[in-house]
Amino acid sequence: MSSRRARTARVTGAVAGAVAVAAATVVAVATAPTAAAATTTFTPVADTSVDNSATSTNYGTTGQLGVDGSPVKRTFLRFTVSGVTGQVTGAKLRVHTDDVSGSNSPAGGTFRALSSTSWSETGTTWANQPTIDGATLGTLGAVSRNAWYEVNVGAVVTGNGTFSIAISSTNSDGADYDSRESGSATAPQLVVSTDTPTTTTLPTTTTQPSGDPVLVGAGDISNSGSGDTATAALLDNIPGTVYTTGDNVYNDGTTTEFNNYYNPTWGRHKARTKPAPGNHDYNTSGASGYYNYFGAQAGPSGRGYYSYDLGTWHVVSLNSEISMSTGSAQEQWLRSDLAASSKPCTLAYWHKPRFTSGADHAPSTATGPLVQALYDYNAEVIVTGHNHHYERFAPMNPSGSADSSRGIRHFVAGMGGAGFYNFGTIQPNSEARNNNTFGVLKFTLHANSYDWEFVPQAGKTYNDSGSNACH
Amino acid sequence: MMTVKTRILVALAAAALLVGAAVFYVARTSTPPAAAQLPRMASVAPPDDGVDRRSLQVLTNGVLGWASATDPHAPRGLSTVRCDRAYYAARTVACLRPVDALVGTKLSLLDIKDNEIKSVPLTGFPNRLKVSASGRMVSWTVFLDGHSYATTGFSTQTGILDTKTDAVVHSLEEFSATVEGKPHQAVDFNYWGVTFTADDNRFYATLGTGGKRYLVEGDLSARTVRTLTANVECPSLSPDGKRIAYKSAIDADPKKGWRLSVMDLSTLSSTPLGETRSVDDQAIWLDDATVAYALQRDDGVNDVWSISADGSGQPKLVVEGANSPSLTH
Repeated sequence: MSSRRARTARVTGAVAGAVAVAAATVVAVATAPTAAAATTTFTPVADTSVDNSATSTNYGTTGQLGVDGSPVKRTFLRFTVSGVTGQVTGAKLRVHTDDVSGSNSPAGGTFRALSSTSWSETGTTWANQPTIDGATLGTLGAVSRNAWYEVNVGAVVTGNGTFSIAISSTNSDGADYDSRESGSATAPQLVVSTDTPTTTTLPTTTTQPSGDPVLVGAGDISNSGSGDTATAALLDNIPGTVYTTGDNVYNDGTTTEFNNYYNPTWGRHKARTKPAPGNHDYNTSGASGYYNYFGAQAGPSGRGYYSYDLGTWHVVSLNSEISMSTGSAQEQWLRSDLAASSKPCTLAYWHKPRFTSGADHAPSTATGPLVQALYDYNAEVIVTGHNHHYERFAPMNPSGSADSSRGIRHFVAGMGGAGFYNFGTIQPNSEARNNNTFGVLKFTLHANSYDWEFVPQAGKTYNDSGSNACH
Repeated sequence: MMTVKTRILVALAAAALLVGAAVFYVARTSTPPAAAQLPRMASVAPPDDGVDRRSLQVLTNGVLGWASATDPHAPRGLSTVRCDRAYYAARTVACLRPVDALVGTKLSLLDIKDNEIKSVPLTGFPNRLKVSASGRMVSWTVFLDGHSYATTGFSTQTGILDTKTDAVVHSLEEFSATVEGKPHQAVDFNYWGVTFTADDNRFYATLGTGGKRYLVEGDLSARTVRTLTANVECPSLSPDGKRIAYKSAIDADPKKGWRLSVMDLSTLSSTPLGETRSVDDQAIWLDDATVAYALQRDDGVNDVWSISADGSGQPKLVVEGANSPSLTH
């Protein structure tokens, strides 16, 4: 008897015949744990359960997490561990059984890791559940109603990161745990222990500059508004090469717009800028306003694609406003340019995104041949714009599947100053998104790796940062 | 207007959504595998217990499904159908399909098993979709130039399908327009956000021209529209037909966002609602006193909210992680 059924019955005024069986042979923690000096407690960023008797039903926002052998119910939990410093010495998952008859069970379930961290709390059903493909972490025996239980998950939680854990059971008398929606007093907890006290705020002044090249910029930048002023002010304090991912000015790429909007803001950094053109730049015939303003810095006039090196990196600026098809002059040039490069790491940027969750511009499949060429030559990063917001994808192959060995990490950096666009359906492998903060996306290009950092406009707090090795 | 019997049937579909309830009430009349596909309609009477089981058709990150209109913690049903915008009324299920790599969007009408029974190919990016209360008239808006309502220079196309005759109005721009009392020709005509009245002929919509966004009243058979007032976008007619919920650009400037408002059509007087966040949606009415709408978080996740239609009260979360709501009962 599941307690969900019992609770529904109670709410609807029907009779529930569940009998509470008191069986507590496993350690029950009487109260919720509190964070000590060397432990940090995390609540799930997502939790849900699935049920094979209702294969297209999602339980993500309910207060309970079911674990049962008949009907088969499985629970999925996801935690994001961040801000932990020092050596992780242990990690415990604590779950609380629901305070309702029938939540008790002779078998609390088997806890296993799973590799998927992209399952959605409100979209996961029995029919589309992720595969439970990781190590067994522990098994709970009998669990009683309204009590805490804990399982050692130190085998998988060894530091900062995102972790998924599943609970399943073969016992036909299932258990029900409280979900994160039940409230902070009963929500699942991941308690991470370290050998030193943890800190959540790192003083930024202690970060020493590495001396490696910096590439910083954004797209969709200058109009009569103030967004470009805010992002240009960020550039004032960030040395390095400035890139743009197109739509440098609005609406029409005219010389007047470059002089009136771009030049007083991002134009302060024109001497160190390596731009790319966008569709609005091409609203002026041949993008002549763009080519005239940037001169030789925009590559051969009228062509719009060129490359340069920064340290151990090869950097390519491309043009999504002209032909990109297989066999086109641009695609052929790109392949020979990449073939000629001896640098171990490669980054490319242009305007229209191959992958985006934006509501206003669909993914540009026309850019596919450029993405394929970059993938064929083991490039690391692609930065675009066009949709006016920020989005980061996991490394993917050219068809958009996650690819941790050779995949290219795609960014949409359309937060340079023009008014924000909405997101539509969030696409697979999208890892970070924001559409209320102007900013610049900064890359620090190390010898065989890179750091990315979203730098927000003054007064805003959104940030996103990380590192990857080159292929 | 739904018959009582229809109401009961739809109410049961709502009950079936609350899968705990579905198990409790329906399990004995159906084999377990049948529960794999949540029924929109079912043939057993719901309990007469006075419990409000209204449900919504929603999109959960682009997946068509159903959720409780009254309990944000209830389970939801999910199909495998993907839509960028969807609407349900009186058994007409309408879906604007996502733009594919090779083909554009299309309007799909689905049967209760999610099979496509009718379609209209479209060019553009799906934006608005509404079905008249009778289920007969389907209207949609797509962005042709792929921009948002907050920018200048965007371009939309708004069409209507009569599901009874299969007649299609591909663009309201074909209609004769009277703007501020004068016959009007302009190149910068954009229509969006249609809502039909109960006669399935008269409708309201937005006309953007000359930098203004007008509320228009249209006549489908006469192929005419005329402006009523300005700074009204995405009207949605109340069940009693007397008011519209709509989005009102702050200081008449869409760049500043929109205030969700309700207008009395007899006086054209407007009441700003208690939702102070910018709402860019065509709201729906849960009943004559409550409107619902989607709001997007900063990370692109949407939620359905509701608020009193009289200007009082605070927003209430209705469905987490969903948008494009329409009432199935």
